[in-house]
Amino acid sequence: MFLKLIPQISNALKGIKKPQMQISANFCSQVSNLNDFKNEGDSDEPIEMKNPFEKEKVKCILCRNNIEPSYKNVQLLSQFQSPYTGRTYGRHITGLCKNMQEKVEMSIMRAQHLGFMGYVTKQPRFLKDPKLFNPEKPQRPHKY
Amino acid sequence: MPTYELALMLRTMSRPEIVTTLKRTTEAIFSKGGFLRQLDYLGDKQLPYRVHKNSQKHFTGSAFIVTFDVSPKKLDDLLEEYTRDVDILKRSIFKIEDEPQKIECTLDEELKPPAYRKEVINMMEKAAKGQKEKYPQNTGLNYYPFQK
Repeated sequence: MFLKLIPQISNALKGIKKPQMQISANFCSQVSNLNDFKNEGDSDEPIEMKNPFEKEKVKCILCRNNIEPSYKNVQLLSQFQSPYTGRTYGRHITGLCKNMQEKVEMSIMRAQHLGFMGYVTKQPRFLKDPKLFNPEKPQRPHKY
Repeated sequence: MPTYELALMLRTMSRPEIVTTLKRTTEAIFSKGGFLRQLDYLGDKQLPYRVHKNSQKHFTGSAFIVTFDVSPKKLDDLLEEYTRDVDILKRSIFKIEDEPQKIECTLDEELKPPAYRKEVINMMEKAAKGQKEKYPQNTGLNYYPFQK
């Protein structure tokens, strides 16, 4: 009876698919190049490789989409300007990295000086632009 | 010669007048030994604030961008010449870099709690060593010249 069960079990097992693990793309590419890694010959020692489950680094919205802020692109810069006071929002509200925030601020100052953008006002046709952040709920508290 | 970008805001004038103004600006560049690369028109813009120039109030203007190459020695003179021009309301010269710097996004680092941020760690190490930032006096003397 035991011998009869074995083929049944093996047939049943054949139907089951192996569960697919959610592995990052890094792991798949690295697994294929196993021959290049250290300690490949020693079966006991672990293979030295980059952490395959490393989380992707958080990037600010402009760096993610590779957008370079320019004083000519007033619509983009107006998204970082308050519609009530015309002032530029700080880094704790916009959620940009330090370099990008500086670039945006410099571009805004240039555009304001040249008369492309207002100091105290925001162009009315830019008021309905999609909001990149909620100024009333900053992601981080103000440093002071 | 390095490449520069001249952003201009001219007052609203008839087309032939704008042409003469632009010719004046470009001829100033040529007289300083430079050459033009590109001339862009950004359109007639309504100024976000009134511009007072020569006892006149301006509400609208036409925006132009002139890309040119000139020796950096002549740059200040050029800008000063444009400041004296009656028809130019606003002017600015910016340098265009040949290869824009690629800076990586550091948001990940900035979002970490303070104890894990590199900036804060460096600060704490400096404080532990007892190092204060010493700025060089640049006096050329090896003693402090003032009476303490």
